[in-house]
Amino acid sequence: MPKNEANNRPEIDNKTEGTISRRSVLKIGAAAGAAGVLAPSMLTHTEALGFQTIPEPGVCASAVSPNHHPFVDEFTAPFPADDHPLNPQPTEFPNLGAGEAPRAAHQRWSQFTPAHFTYELEARPGLHTFHSDFLPTYIWGFNGQYPAPTCLQKYGKPTIVRFRNSLPDDSTPAVPEITVHLHNGHHGSESDGFAGDWFTNPFWKDNLYPNCYAGLDVFGGNGDPKEKMGTFWFHDHRAEHTQTSNIMGLNGMFIVYDETDPGHENPSAGSLQLPGYYGVTDFPMILTDKRFCATDPVAGRTEMIVTAGGTDKWIINGKIQPKLTVRKRKYRFRILNTGTTKTWNLTLIGADANGNAKVQPITVIATDANFLEHPIVIDDTPANAGNSNADTAPITPGGLRVSVAERYDIIIDFNQYAAGTKLYLKENGVAAGQKVGFPSPDPLPTGLRIEDVVMQFNVVAREPWFPKDTPPIPATLCTYPTLPPVNNNWEWQFVLVSGVFRVKRPGDAVGCVFDPDHPAHCILRGTTEEWLLNNNIASGWTHPVHIHFEEFRTVGRFTNGVPQIPFVPPLMSGRKDVSRLEPGQGTLLRMQFRDYNGRYLIHCHNMAHEDNFMMVRWDICPDTNSLNACIADQQICENELKAKWRLDEEVA
Amino acid sequence: MDRRELLTRVYEPHRSSPGAARYTNAVLRTQDNKEVRFYDDLIRGKQVVVNFMYAECHGSCPLVTQTLKQTYREFKDRMGKDLFFYSITTKPEEDTPASLKHYAEMRNADLPGWYFLTGDPFDIKTIRFRLFNMDHPGFDVDLNMHTGWLRILNDARNYWGMAQAFATQKNILNRIRWADMPKSHAEWVVENRKIQIAIEQDVKKYGYRRDI
Repeated sequence: MPKNEANNRPEIDNKTEGTISRRSVLKIGAAAGAAGVLAPSMLTHTEALGFQTIPEPGVCASAVSPNHHPFVDEFTAPFPADDHPLNPQPTEFPNLGAGEAPRAAHQRWSQFTPAHFTYELEARPGLHTFHSDFLPTYIWGFNGQYPAPTCLQKYGKPTIVRFRNSLPDDSTPAVPEITVHLHNGHHGSESDGFAGDWFTNPFWKDNLYPNCYAGLDVFGGNGDPKEKMGTFWFHDHRAEHTQTSNIMGLNGMFIVYDETDPGHENPSAGSLQLPGYYGVTDFPMILTDKRFCATDPVAGRTEMIVTAGGTDKWIINGKIQPKLTVRKRKYRFRILNTGTTKTWNLTLIGADANGNAKVQPITVIATDANFLEHPIVIDDTPANAGNSNADTAPITPGGLRVSVAERYDIIIDFNQYAAGTKLYLKENGVAAGQKVGFPSPDPLPTGLRIEDVVMQFNVVAREPWFPKDTPPIPATLCTYPTLPPVNNNWEWQFVLVSGVFRVKRPGDAVGCVFDPDHPAHCILRGTTEEWLLNNNIASGWTHPVHIHFEEFRTVGRFTNGVPQIPFVPPLMSGRKDVSRLEPGQGTLLRMQFRDYNGRYLIHCHNMAHEDNFMMVRWDICPDTNSLNACIADQQICENELKAKWRLDEEVA
Repeated sequence: MDRRELLTRVYEPHRSSPGAARYTNAVLRTQDNKEVRFYDDLIRGKQVVVNFMYAECHGSCPLVTQTLKQTYREFKDRMGKDLFFYSITTKPEEDTPASLKHYAEMRNADLPGWYFLTGDPFDIKTIRFRLFNMDHPGFDVDLNMHTGWLRILNDARNYWGMAQAFATQKNILNRIRWADMPKSHAEWVVENRKIQIAIEQDVKKYGYRRDI
């Protein structure tokens, strides 16, 4: 087991005392600034990185980040993860003897193994350069990288990802304990990264991702293809410390292809022929915001400050204000907000005939992981205003609002622009913009401030070797499954009572705070429920609410309990797994619970809120006996709280 | 309780502890009218649970105190040794050491390792913001917003956790234990086996059998 070897390394050093050990050589290499640049013949990839000694960050208290030059670094896609055999081989029951963390046995093991792909993603420290003006920054990343390597997947090809915890007890406020959630995978609860199931260094856990469509029980085989999803992401979900882990960098993308969206652009049966070459014409756009210490040339570092407040640098795919050269053709971008708390409001900006900033159209093809039935063009004109994903009626023109954990797949057609045109992705949500400190190297359209720019696109003619443009975006991208009839109605209220974020159920006196040990709601497998997510207590807080396990359909939106007309803004009408609730808003949604049993979560995905208990466990029960056992426990939290209140009255 | 007892230190601070720069070294007074410095005497190298209250509070404060009492019983062997509770008044103008002593005695909470603290109003406000700041004015300026919170710290680990008095008792205990000093690998191997047994009992109890 690699970790044992790691533990034994001091002994290796001792044995080679008097000679230069391999470890010493690497230290010298690192000291010479060659960290990570090792002769491939010398060590395997994993060994090489395992041997790297990454010094810990210092502590700084900078109020503002250092300046940077805009549009220096290239915007690139994270490297695809490489699959390789796992040793020891994955097992149905947890292999505690070999260092696996505790978990329930994998469900549907015989159906989905042996897995087609197996990966090992090791949470460990690394160095990442967020901007060329900066020195490397100490991060925690999967395989030491930020963003993590992207897992490129295919429906029908199940995967096992072995998440290994090699995080040190170091100088960050983050806690070296992880549980990794694939957002929003349809899989067993033992592979779901349940918030209470975290594990420590040096243990590991196999998550089985079947890459199946929902509907296995009813449709058999690989489920109902109408349940197709595409743009997933994985991140640490450690109760109480999700925010710090994600600031440190423990998140990445997970893309699943199928026949309609095959990951290439060649004509093939069923293919929509959307821009589809990963890293060439199809890019993740992973958004986050950070603040950095002043660059320390002695330490050779530009450290980040682990904070969600006062962030002043916008990061996209791990870079600050990068640039991307695009050819005159269509590109797909998979926008993901990894938070930890900020909601983005994005527009694409070009110059009009007079050189003034003008919002350019973008075509949204997918919300969260799901194709819209029909693409929606948005910009800030009244004609397309009705298609903006504004929050309530009346819908007003605006940008694409992306709250934490939401994904929007968009297509930008650069063919409509002349070669030499420069376009800018603009963030509209922050009055001050980000801290830049240097002017744009290129003249910006009048009215656009460099501080508001996230990245730059440089349009060039398509070279003969570059893939030809794809056909026009199809008017119909998919057909949604029919909404099944409702078996049960339920309400979750997202409230703040006595300074405590909590989720209230129907009939709750006060509402419980997150309790990983007891279910708060029990659902019979195979049923459909209609849930009202309610943020109607005047609180001033926005809650992007995420439901694990399956996609839901929004059937109504409310403001202060009043149904909105039109009921659902178009960008909220598709299949989704995050529902943004602005203050006073509610969402009525319909969701199915099938194929698997066990514990899942609903929570606010503002990571500050979920860490502060705005999270609830709900369970799927396979039969009525199971349901009854679950229901017997679903009042434990509430009853204990009621008892406390009674105690309180006696005391007072 | 004397000053020497307060100064008992089980562990060194974690090398990355922000120390007095975050926690302040404000001089506070215990219910026994002893002067203590907030970081050096109360936080440094220790695992602590901090909450805010005031003696005349009839809202959630007595509930929080009751919850802490229940929690205290569970950790009796550790209290005053490597685990401490600090209940800091949000109304230092009203709450003298004597009135806090009265409050603690009335609730049978005047116990070793549990200090009720008052001090300069500015210092206390600073500490409250440093420990519970949410960067949200609607939250932070409202005194009542912080009274249900238990800030769980372990300076020897630079651990920064939280619990709510409104959580289940098991949940609160777990969250305090999460801040314990790291277990060794051997201890985790043992602990993981225990967790595995609990998981399997749960699967059996709820009938989440593994087969389709």
